Amino acid sequence: MSDLLTGLLQESVSGIALGCIYALIALGFTLIYKATEVVNFAQGEIMMVGAYINFFFVTQFSAMAGELTGWVFLAALFCSIIFAVLFGIILDYVINRPMKDEPVFSIIMATISLAIILRSLTAMIAGPISLVPVSPFGDSTIKTAGIVISVLDLAIIICAVILMSLFFFFFNKTRWGIAMKATSEDSEAAQLMGIPVKQVYRIVWVFAAIVGVISGVLLAPRMALLDTTMSYLGLKAFPAAILGGFGSIPGAVAGGIILGVIETVSMGTLSFHFEWIKEINDIIVWIVLIAVLMIRPDGLFGIAKVKRV
Amino acid sequence: MKQIVSIIIMSAFIWTGCENKATSPGVTDTEILVGNIQDLSGPIKELGLLLPAGTNMYLDYINAQGGVHGRQIKMIVEDHGYNPQKAVVAAKKLVEKDQVFCLFNVVGTSPAEAIRPILEESGVPLIAPATNSSSMSDMSKQAARYIFHTDAGYDLQARVLIDYIMENNKDAVIGFAYQDDDYGANALQGCAVAEANHGITVQKESFQRGATDFMGQTMNFMKGGCTDVIIGGIVREPVTIMKTAQKIGFEPKFYGLMPTVDPRVGLLAGEVGEGFIAPYHAYHPDSDEAGPKLYQELCDKNNVPAKMRGIYHYYGFAGAHVLVEGLRRAGKNPTRERLIKGLETLKNWESGVFPPITYNRNDHAGAESLYLLQLQEGKQVGITDWRN
Amino acid sequence: MKGRYEDENLNWIPLLILAVFLLPFVLKGVTFSYKYYLYILNMAGIYIILTVGLDLLSGFTGLMSLGHAAFLAIGAYTSAILVDQVGLPFELSLIITPVIVGLFGLVIGFPALRIKGIYLGLTTMGFGFIVKRLIIAFREWTGGSAGLHVSSASIFGYPIKNDWDNYFMIYTFAILAIIMTRRIIKSKLGRAFMAIRDSEQAAQASGINLAKYKLISFFISGMFAGFAGVLFAHTSHFISTDHFDITLSIFFIVMVLIGGIGSIYGAVLGTLFVVLMENMFIPLFEDALSQYVNLNAGDFQAFIFGLIMLIFIIFQPLGLYGMWLKMRIYWKIFPFNPRKRFT
Repeated sequence: MSDLLTGLLQESVSGIALGCIYALIALGFTLIYKATEVVNFAQGEIMMVGAYINFFFVTQFSAMAGELTGWVFLAALFCSIIFAVLFGIILDYVINRPMKDEPVFSIIMATISLAIILRSLTAMIAGPISLVPVSPFGDSTIKTAGIVISVLDLAIIICAVILMSLFFFFFNKTRWGIAMKATSEDSEAAQLMGIPVKQVYRIVWVFAAIVGVISGVLLAPRMALLDTTMSYLGLKAFPAAILGGFGSIPGAVAGGIILGVIETVSMGTLSFHFEWIKEINDIIVWIVLIAVLMIRPDGLFGIAKVKRV
Repeated sequence: MKQIVSIIIMSAFIWTGCENKATSPGVTDTEILVGNIQDLSGPIKELGLLLPAGTNMYLDYINAQGGVHGRQIKMIVEDHGYNPQKAVVAAKKLVEKDQVFCLFNVVGTSPAEAIRPILEESGVPLIAPATNSSSMSDMSKQAARYIFHTDAGYDLQARVLIDYIMENNKDAVIGFAYQDDDYGANALQGCAVAEANHGITVQKESFQRGATDFMGQTMNFMKGGCTDVIIGGIVREPVTIMKTAQKIGFEPKFYGLMPTVDPRVGLLAGEVGEGFIAPYHAYHPDSDEAGPKLYQELCDKNNVPAKMRGIYHYYGFAGAHVLVEGLRRAGKNPTRERLIKGLETLKNWESGVFPPITYNRNDHAGAESLYLLQLQEGKQVGITDWRN
Repeated sequence: MKGRYEDENLNWIPLLILAVFLLPFVLKGVTFSYKYYLYILNMAGIYIILTVGLDLLSGFTGLMSLGHAAFLAIGAYTSAILVDQVGLPFELSLIITPVIVGLFGLVIGFPALRIKGIYLGLTTMGFGFIVKRLIIAFREWTGGSAGLHVSSASIFGYPIKNDWDNYFMIYTFAILAIIMTRRIIKSKLGRAFMAIRDSEQAAQASGINLAKYKLISFFISGMFAGFAGVLFAHTSHFISTDHFDITLSIFFIVMVLIGGIGSIYGAVLGTLFVVLMENMFIPLFEDALSQYVNLNAGDFQAFIFGLIMLIFIIFQPLGLYGMWLKMRIYWKIFPFNPRKRFT
């Protein structure tokens, strides 16, 4: 019995780490949605680009330094974040400038096409051979209470928590954050109140790019091989964002973690004891999502939008 | 009314227009066109780079010597992304639009199976499909007379591996990770035969083609107490499973079916891949037989980088030998039928790259025996003799 | 023929239909690889049947569906199972399968009653994933990931086996599908759909039963997709779950979008455009470029596709049909066009 419990605990911890990654990606979605009502289908691709860029920096710096040290990773992370800022500005130009007044549906389709372009462009530039990502923490693990946590997973959880708190604080306590919330509710009224809507959009896309890149940097070492299929994880983070209700940051976190745990536990213990669960491992998150949406159509933490006629 | 009449007249004109057909599709006085369908964008796109490269290296060599009966051999490569549906579209394009003479080295069991109707409908031969599935040489299936297989089947490989494991450890608990499609199905057949022979049960875990996460399956093997795990994947699967196992502290012996025999598995897995064993059915590219020697020579001459040389590059190179020999035996005026008949005259033919091959009307299978290779310090070393 | 407007000239419709049926003969005379082009046109024809149904759902009723490939899959597999394993004749499958798929449409329609907007889009996407996985799970009937070989069609004893015969069968049904959807739009049903799209509250206030019409919309678009699925299975002779994925669903929405959302002719144009581009123009472009640059085929195709899609969305939000309308109006009042740039 305690074997079962240890197993479950182990999987839950691993699931929380996975869930934090989903939460980070969902955070990216939520940020953009909160300010612009646009669902960014390219968030997974931004994550993938971040992972590739980080890998590139790591190999470059370690070649320059001659060996792989902690400083190499820090430097690579720093450069990746700078890249993310630039990337976010470019994306803002591509998506928002030409499509200022288009209906939200078109902008969403534009992000879908952006996702396709990013994925194929990365595949063409990086070549067909998969990359082997290196974890900054090696393979070190911590053993407590009979379960094994890898230092990487711990770092992921810590990073996620820090980023969430930062953004939560930002949106609720600072002027710019409240300005962004206002813009998402009614961009015309916000403009009339003196809020620079264009800048708001740009900042929010930059934030989303930073979050995306960081989640890519964190996720890459967790996978054995790195290639463009990583971007499909972005699709998996959708249920996380929706579960929590689009537009709610704590919701994104909760949604991500819940789904991460469900997925890992179902792949492990549940599959071992119930054969048929193996069949639906990949889609269990979607089933959970649809079930939740049927009961609460705006997500767990979502607020029903009041529609003015 | 006027418009209708004019349309009819125009169509009549165009109908009686010129139709330009070659004597036999894909064959002109100076050239033979061969079609290849690879995975250039999907889960095994590394192979899509290596296989045609090896083939082209040999074809360039042959063409430099004047080609076959004075004709240069040219190959067109299409992409199917390991999607059987796209393979059908690509095959249609090659056969109907590019009018290739024959198909060669189509990669992947499911895609190769999917194009059988097209082979049948157009009478197009498929030489050396790049898949080990013994269903390729199953003469009872549709279009079987058009397919000439060079490899030993997955069922044979699974059986040989399990026999080897049981030889060395009578108490082995074996786990088998298989791909949930034609590839896996064929391997499972061999597994079932071995299970019956040894009176054991093998723990089987399936994974979807192209999957990237194997935590669930690996943990299940660990829970099942497996001492030896066979991985029926290609390149990504064994590497990922071995690394995942290391992460969770699970250390069985690892084996793989023939597609995993490429040294890149060792390269990507690093130290985790030490001791990995896989079967092989041809002469090793580093050995001293005639074929491998030619391979090494040509690689050096063409400055092929070291990380490209290996089993898969060699595989494309080796398969091309069969294609060229078939074209030679098809004679000075090759037709698709003559190609088929020509290949069926092969009897104990020494290609230099494979053990002697025999084809006849009822037997389109190639190799019948295997030997095992093990990764030792990053190099592949033969550890057994030919066995079946 | 009488059209909506006094001077609308509908004479071109029978001519166009005649041209469609004469096309294979023209192709056969012009090139000896006509079979390949027919194959591509067949694909386009099947997809047209699906996209006009999708346009009804997403363009006219405003219910976004990002999982329509799932309906195509259900239709294809259902027909394959019914005809090959249960032994139903093909003609009967043509009638029964669309109804079955329409019922599946209702299954996803029920959540649609409560879930709105982007949530609905993502729900349909999830539906797509779930259906694909479930098809693999029922591998005894569907062949799982390996795929399924399917027999050919045959109508009243006349076998339809090769690309030539397939063309006539497919395009007969495609033309019928187009006519049917146009009639639906012009009827009370179509007006109810458009009312729901434009404003649900106003529609309800006008007495339109939201639930009923939303469900009908899902049912009808499911039926069209199912019909397309039957044709797809029996003309490709091989189906596998790899084909029916999220990428295909996105393709369908793109076809509707590029053609011009909310227009049946637009959906047709969009479908033709995407299919021809994907299979003919991009490979030609690639051949030309590959002399200079070493390209990875599949990735390059995806890249160009994404690029064209983005360009269309940014510069031509009204789609191909919108472009056509603008051109027509331009020529109609030439040379009295206003100076201002025609947008």
